[in-house]
Amino acid sequence: MEIFPALLSVITDPTLLFAIVLAAVVGMIVGATPGLTASAAIAMLLPITFYMSPLFALAFLYVIGKSGRYGGSIAAILFNTPGTAASAATQIDGYPLARAGKAGKAMRVATISSIIGDLMGDILLVIGVGFIAAIALKLGPPETFAIYFAAFVVIGSVIGNSIIKGLASALMGILIAMVGLDPISSEERYTFGSFELSNGIGLVPLMIGVFVLGEVFAQLETRRKITGETEENASTADGSTLTWEEYKPCLPHALRGGFIGAGIGVLPGLGSAIAAFISYGEGKRRAKNPEMWGKGALEGVAAPEAANNAVSGPSMAPLLTLGIPGSTIGAILLGVFLIHGIQVGPTLFLTDKELVYKLFACGMLGILAYGLIGYFGATQVARLILKIPTNVLYPLIFLTSFVAAYSARGSMFDVTVMTVAGFAGWLMRKYDFNVAAFVISFVLAKGAEETFRQSLLMSEGGALVFVERPIALAFLLVGLAAMGFRIRGIIKERRIAQGELGDA
Amino acid sequence: MRAYAEGLVLAAISIFAIWGAWQVPAASLGDTWAGIVPFSASVALLFLSGLMLAGAARQTASGASHAQDNGATLQIIGLFIIAVIYQQSFRWFGYLLPTALVAPLVLYFFGVRSRIGLAVSVILCPLVFHLIFFVLLGVYPPYGEVFDLLSWIQG
Repeated sequence: MEIFPALLSVITDPTLLFAIVLAAVVGMIVGATPGLTASAAIAMLLPITFYMSPLFALAFLYVIGKSGRYGGSIAAILFNTPGTAASAATQIDGYPLARAGKAGKAMRVATISSIIGDLMGDILLVIGVGFIAAIALKLGPPETFAIYFAAFVVIGSVIGNSIIKGLASALMGILIAMVGLDPISSEERYTFGSFELSNGIGLVPLMIGVFVLGEVFAQLETRRKITGETEENASTADGSTLTWEEYKPCLPHALRGGFIGAGIGVLPGLGSAIAAFISYGEGKRRAKNPEMWGKGALEGVAAPEAANNAVSGPSMAPLLTLGIPGSTIGAILLGVFLIHGIQVGPTLFLTDKELVYKLFACGMLGILAYGLIGYFGATQVARLILKIPTNVLYPLIFLTSFVAAYSARGSMFDVTVMTVAGFAGWLMRKYDFNVAAFVISFVLAKGAEETFRQSLLMSEGGALVFVERPIALAFLLVGLAAMGFRIRGIIKERRIAQGELGDA
Repeated sequence: MRAYAEGLVLAAISIFAIWGAWQVPAASLGDTWAGIVPFSASVALLFLSGLMLAGAARQTASGASHAQDNGATLQIIGLFIIAVIYQQSFRWFGYLLPTALVAPLVLYFFGVRSRIGLAVSVILCPLVFHLIFFVLLGVYPPYGEVFDLLSWIQG
């Protein structure tokens, strides 16, 4: 019930409403611009939030994340270039619809389905988050460490093509987080006598480096490969309107997609892309017209779009209740909480409950904001994006990353960290390592270490404490099972591929 | 070959990390060793690098090869060198002068060839960034130890 006074409070605050609308526009533009991601935009804006109130900062970045997920569909449908990984599923049917002169219709289905999915995710978050927090309060260090362990394994093994590279990325994130003074004994680790390293590696410069500067390097590489210009697919007069009769068959797919996305969103690391493709596959399996899917079915746009956006709200649940970010955007938002001295975890609901519910309210109003702008102005946004000269945009982002990294703490060392992280981020992308697993593990490492060592002290040095406590054991097994399923999946995929090669 | 190189680089990183963790002093009585997590993580990384190398051996046997885009890589290394010099020059020359020099250079890297555009960027980029971050947000700008254009302008 806390959500209603929070909604009222946000609606009556014109500054917050302005932040929400601005964030909806920024997120949509960023998400729809191929090569730019909501993560990059949020990381770049992170230092500015030092100068904002916690709620304003969190709401602004949270809504950019939400709107960015939706914005990806604009590029997928109108330019045949998915703005985000998740919108690649929307592109399968969205682009054929656009080519048939129904770009406006497809955009409206995408917008309505995004709103449905996102609102479903947020409502489930509001209902469920209090229960999860109450349970989380009862967990001891061994159980919390087991959850961290499961998160590391799931994030490392499930995202990306290679389990080994994913887990290696997660381990490298942990090792980088270990640089500096040990929080318990104050012993120096990996400092090599450097005073600056003894303060540790900052979250903000690392994120700006990996997501912003790393992306600029990646874009420089991409620009050499791309030939030709991106063109917008125009709608015919009939193709831009959407009737209730046309949307009616899409509704079950949107609702199912909403549940799939919300379920996947709670699990750390899985993310929108997996949700969107599972929803698309499930939608096609249950569709009355499966032969039309892939050739321009409106339902094929509704199913992945709802799932893609439904991930957004529930992905906040592990972050807010356990301090475990389930996505890169969650990891960056954790940075905002830390910047403002707010401790994330189960106690957040005791200390800053009002802030949390106001944030949820901002998220819901953000959905309405991007929904309205998208429904009536997606094609205008697309035209605006086509006018952005990328050869000017990326140099400006390059320059912004340096001044943003410096602004966080006024530290030149942070700028050096950002530069090195940018190059490392590009190398990781180039060699198919998992950047998301690296960053999320970097964020999780300190908490995991603390709970691990507390558990060892509790048991006087014995690691059996993790096996003797049933909840801890269950989470350790969940992590191992996730890895097992992923290995099985990869083996299966390889067998199918080998079979296809054999047939050819 | 690429898979071998990846495995070897990962092995080198993990051996370095093991050595770094080993430098952490032993724990005092009743405490846990501060190097336990870095040590465990680096040993796990070494194990993964071993798996990668084993996988690479199989890949080589099947004769897989990867085409490399050396031109793009060289361009990115060039941009990285500019980035390193740029961030270092903040310490020597403050924010304005390095930004005025680097802005047209990076624009050129990304294909901007308009002389007027490049010339405008020399003035506009440092000015706009300075106004947003150091005037509006009130961040204290980095001071150039050798020469600081901002101090010179302000007299």
